[in-house]
Parts: sequence; C-alpha cells; structure tokens
Amino acid sequence: MNNDLILLLRTLLKSTSLINIRRYTHDQKKKRKVILSYVGLGCLYAMLIGYSLALCIGYGAMGIIDSVPVFCAITVSTLAFFFTFLKTNGYLFNFREYDMLMSLPFESKTVAAAKFLYMYCKSLPWYLSISVAMMVGYGIYAKPSVPVYPVWIVLTLILPVIPMLAAAFLGFLIARFSAGFKKTNLVQTILTIIFVLFCFSLRFIIEDLFREDKMEQTLNQISDATKQAGGIYLPAGWFDDVIVKGSVSSALLLAGVSLILFAAVFAIVGRSYRNINSALKSHAAAGHYKMTVQKKRSVCMAIAHKEFKRLTGSTAYMVNGAMGEILALILGLLTLVVGLDTIIEKVTEGAPIDAAMLQPAIPFIIYFCIGMVATTACSPSLEGKNYWIVQSLPISKRTLYQGKMLFNMLLSVPFMSFGILCMCISAKVPALNTLLYLIQGVTLCAFSTAWGCVCGIKHMRLDWENEIEVIKQSAAVAIYMLPNMFVTMGLVVLVVFLGTKLDHVVLVLIFTLVYGALAVLSYLRVMALAREN
Amino acid sequence: MSEKAMLEIRNYSKSYGGEKKAADNVSLQVMSGDIYGFIGHNGAGKSTTIRAVVGVLDFTEGEIYIDGHSVKNEPMECKKVTAYIPDNPDLYENLTGIQYLNFVADVFDIGAAEREERIRRYADAFEITAALGDLISSYSHGMKQKVALISALIHEPKLLVLDEPFVGLDPKATFKLKEIMHEMCEKGAAVFFSTHVLDVAEKLCNKVAIIRQGKIIDSGTMEEMTEGHSLEEVFLEVEQDEQ
Repeated sequence: MNNDLILLLRTLLKSTSLINIRRYTHDQKKKRKVILSYVGLGCLYAMLIGYSLALCIGYGAMGIIDSVPVFCAITVSTLAFFFTFLKTNGYLFNFREYDMLMSLPFESKTVAAAKFLYMYCKSLPWYLSISVAMMVGYGIYAKPSVPVYPVWIVLTLILPVIPMLAAAFLGFLIARFSAGFKKTNLVQTILTIIFVLFCFSLRFIIEDLFREDKMEQTLNQISDATKQAGGIYLPAGWFDDVIVKGSVSSALLLAGVSLILFAAVFAIVGRSYRNINSALKSHAAAGHYKMTVQKKRSVCMAIAHKEFKRLTGSTAYMVNGAMGEILALILGLLTLVVGLDTIIEKVTEGAPIDAAMLQPAIPFIIYFCIGMVATTACSPSLEGKNYWIVQSLPISKRTLYQGKMLFNMLLSVPFMSFGILCMCISAKVPALNTLLYLIQGVTLCAFSTAWGCVCGIKHMRLDWENEIEVIKQSAAVAIYMLPNMFVTMGLVVLVVFLGTKLDHVVLVLIFTLVYGALAVLSYLRVMALAREN
Repeated sequence: MSEKAMLEIRNYSKSYGGEKKAADNVSLQVMSGDIYGFIGHNGAGKSTTIRAVVGVLDFTEGEIYIDGHSVKNEPMECKKVTAYIPDNPDLYENLTGIQYLNFVADVFDIGAAEREERIRRYADAFEITAALGDLISSYSHGMKQKVALISALIHEPKLLVLDEPFVGLDPKATFKLKEIMHEMCEKGAAVFFSTHVLDVAEKLCNKVAIIRQGKIIDSGTMEEMTEGHSLEEVFLEVEQDEQ
C-alpha cells in the first residue's frame, strides 16, 4: 500500500471514530452517547457471537461439524457481499467530502481504494466475531491442531475481500451505467433494487439446481449442500482446504487472488471514478419551470412530503428504507400468481404446513418484510446538518415527529394491506378474518412506526459524515431492526402453533390488542421524548 | 518578476446530461501576480468552471492548464500547486482542527517544523489557534472557513482557487485574507476566486471576468472594465445588454 492510501485510510477511520469524538468533545451529553453506543454495539456483537456459536454447536450435535469451515466462509462472504453492495453508493461514490478529497493531490484510484478499505475496516469486526465464534464451536467438536486457530483468524481477514470487491465492482458498473442517464439517481436506484431482488431469488434457483442432483432430504444433505457451495464459490473451498487439510497452496491462492483482484478492480474503477462522481454529484438546473397552481398542505403533511422527497432523492435510503415494501409487494403478487401453497412448499421444503395453518400468521409474514426498516428509525438523524431548518421553523418537535410517523404510515400501510389482501385471497380466508388481518396489519405498521421513532430519537446522531452511517450502521436502526426481526420470526412460529389450538379470530384479536397497546405506548414515549429534546 | 500563465482555460464547455451548457466555450488566462475575480449571477456557471479547474469535475470539451500542466492529463501535477476552497467546505467534522490541518500537511508532505510554523502563523492571523484542539463539528461556519483557508495556505500554493471565500468570515479575517492574497501574488502566485461582493472584487482584483449562462460576456483588467464607473454599474449594464 502506498503512503497516500495509508494516510487517507487512517484519516477516514479517525474522522468517524467514536473514540476521537469522546476524546476531544467538551459536550458531556455527546460523551455519554458514545459510551451508550459502545454498550449497544457490545450487545449486538454478543447476540451475533451467541447466534454463530449456537449454530456451530447445532452442527456439532448433528455430527456435521466438518461443514463448519465452508459454512463460515459462505456466511462471511455473503454478508460481506450484501453489506458492501448496499453501501457502495454513498461510500465509494457520491460521498459528501468528494470535492475536498479530489482537489487534493490524490490519484482517483487511491481515493476509491481508500474508501473501499474504509468499508472493509469498518465491517471487519462483524465478520471476525462471526468467524471466531464459529472457530470456537469448530474447536470444541473437531479438536483441530493448534496452528489451525491463528490460520483461521488470519484467513478471516482475507475472506471478505473477494466478495467485497465483487460487490464494489458491481456497484461501480451500475453507477457507470446510470451515469449515462439524465435521471442518474433513479436509474441507479432501480438497478440496485432489481439486483437485490435477484439475489433474494438466487437461493431458490440454487436449491433447484441441487434438487436436480436428487439429493436426499436428510441431515447429511446440509453437509453436502455446504460442501457443494464450497465447490461453487471457490474461496470458500480454499478456506476449507486450509482449515481441514492444512493446504498451504490454498491459503496462498486465497491471499494472491484477493490481492490481484484488489489491484485490478481499482485500476479499472480509478479510470472512470471522476467521470461517475461528476455525473452523480453535479446537476444542472433545468431552468424551465413555469409557475402553476400550488398545493397547500397541513404542517404534518408537509413534513411527510419532505420525508417522501428525502427517501426518493437518495439511492442508498431508497434501497434500504423501502426494500421491505417492495418485498411485500412482490410477495403479494407472487401469492396471487403462483399460489400460497406453492410458495409454502418452496420455502418450507416439504414440511407439513399448508395455507390453512399459516392463515393466522399472514399479517406477521407481511410485517416481517414491512417492519424490516422503519423510516422513522433513521429520519431524525438524517436531518443532519439541515436540522437547523426544522429547528428554526415554528414547528414543535411533537409535530415534527408526527409528520415523520405519518410518512412511515403512508408508506407502509398500503403495501401491508396489499400483501395481506393478496395472501388472504390466495389462501381463501373468509371476509371477516381478512378484515381483522387488515386491522392487525395497520396496528403492526403503527407499532413499527412509533417504535422506530423512539429508537430514532433516542439514538439521534446529526454529525454523520455519510448518510450510510445513519441508514445502515446507526445504533437506532440496529436497535429497532434486530429485536423486531427476531421477535417477528418467533411470532410467526408461535401463531401457527396457537392457530392449531385456538380460534383464528380470537388469536388475531389478542395480537391486535397487544400490538395496539405497544403502538400507543411507543407513541406516548415519542411525545415524551419530543418534550424532553 | 516575469509573468507566467498560472491558469489557462481554453474553450472549456460542460453540459449536464446533454441539456443546456453550464459552461459554454469559456476561455481566460490568470497570470502570476493576478488576483482574478470571477463574477456572475447564481447558476451562471462559476462553480462549474471552478470545479473543473481544480480537478473535481470531469470534462471533455476544452483544455485547462495550471502552471503549464494539463488538468486532464497531469491532474496530480496540477493539484500539487493548487489549493481550493469550496463555497461551503465539507471538512471532516469528527477530527479536531489540528488533526485536519496535519492531514492536509501530510498529503502535501510538509516537514514538521515548516508545518508548525505555517499553522501557527495562519492560525494566529485568523485568531483560531485556541480552538484547533476542538472537534470541527463544534465550530461555527466562519471557524470552519478559517480552518479550510489555513489548510489551503499550508503548502504555499502557486494558484489559490476560492469559491465565495468571504462568506461567513468576520471583518478582521476578511481583511487578513485580502492581505494574504496580496502577499501571495507579490511572491508570484495567483488567486482566482468567485464572488458576489462586487465592492470587494473591485478593490481587490486587478482582473475580472463576468460569466452569464455559462458564457464569458466580458473580461479584462479592472481599469479596462470599469473606465471610471463602479464594477457594480458595469456588471448590471453588461447583464442588461445580454438580456
């Protein structure tokens, strides 16, 4: 690495380091927030480590511990690919301090490579915690020789590089292609969403390929599938070879290919870097607006409209913030076209579940998509440097947050209702139950909106360098999303189980009341926080 | 001291998405010792031109040379002798002022003793020394502008390019900046800056160019341009003629 690259990377890391903030700020509230962020992060790391370790113990108990190295490599690589892909626009391209950096004597490829390595350094602790937890699990059951442990850790540092480079390069291609269009951001958003959806469906395509090989539906199948994945994705296979067989050549191959790809990708990206960023960051005023009749909106509606424009104006925000709604829409359409039974069969791989059993869980299934992200969890922080605008206007905090919540409701309720309706039609749910599910869906949206807002206000951070820090990496989003996701997954299972014992109407009424109460409590908390701030 | 072209823009054009040109066949020359003002309405094409000069904005039509080097073909050579301050500088908010200045000094490979002397000199001049240990996020707009100015001056550039440099500066800092501009030009450097404050431009600049809808509509020495009138009168008259 050249000196410029190291210097820039070091500065980028320092400029977003919580330690630096805590060390130099005189604001006690900010210092406390830094400590709280560390506590929050610690909890998330603990959850991740616990989950990874539990998975390995499960593998060990089932006698398929040999699959763990490939499984670990696949998990780390998949996460690295997705997280990088979703962050490319915002970190690699179209970032705020572009003008400042590019006016300094840095080569374009140095800036691009530093931004990539910054993403790598920031996400490495997550991958390391997953990998080290799996290494511990593997160690307990497989009892490998001592050198395997340091080799495992060192290779984990290399493992995310190839998928991250692939994701960055793909993001580059999308940005390069979009740069040729007048509506650059729109094209980039659409292409990114299409690609993410393609990746979601990839799982089923791969499984179909495996099925053609007539693999048996046994525990060993997991082991075979993992090994097969290692054969398809070569770096995972190399990792496995190093850990299980002690192959030095595979270790060198992994390191060598990562290094060569790194140099190649940034030689290519560097050539078009200025061109792409010029297209993404520079917009000429069309200058042909003609004054027409203007609409008057209520204050709340005006804030909600502002939120809508904020969402659609940023590829990163749109891809992350509205992904749940798009998934709900697609799921709804799929159930109408393909039928709920076919989808259940595909997802559960022949488990004894049918559409009738799944009926009471319909609102939770759609909510699993919709509730993934609430715009209210990040929108308070997204005000960033523009916070002065709403602060200086005669708007109370209460109204401001009501406007933000209104937008999330306006965004989520139509998609939630559409998804539920489609599923109910496909599952032939009676009219009364359909109506109750719709009410429950709205209640879930209300809870998601208000709870997201609580997290968003409590962990509001305005001094971000890059909106991705708020949209993808903020404490507010993590604290909202992770528990919400796990609880919803659990509730789907619980509701299906209870549905076999209780009347569906009773069940839906109970959960509507519970979530309604939680929504009201969260809303009251938002109002209280609005008074405090 | 022999005059040398520090900045030469030849037939530079830039359009966004094939629509109307944000900069249309712009040509001008800034010689060493010049303080060159670039004036025009909002959206006239000043920032589009300035961003191309400093190598931030990609362009295909025309050529830009800094100290004899092509911005297109030798961007690094150009950047090494140029300093740029945008109208609203985006600094790393979570670094302290001194950390940021050290970062820029490292980029330009400035020795420890030299950087200490220069930072001290300019920070004292702009009365910001005491705040250098604080996070930039705690600074006012003017303080950020001062740190950006110091970072621009720290490597003693041959060409100083500024986009609306006086916005947010207090009167004393404004005076100091003008003084520094004169000092730089006496040593053979050049300053190219955009401004809306025509009084300042009139008193400070020896040359000026007026841009309108991407085209240079008038340019020359201040004496040639004004001929006994104020720059404000000239600007308004030229603008009216073009409409």
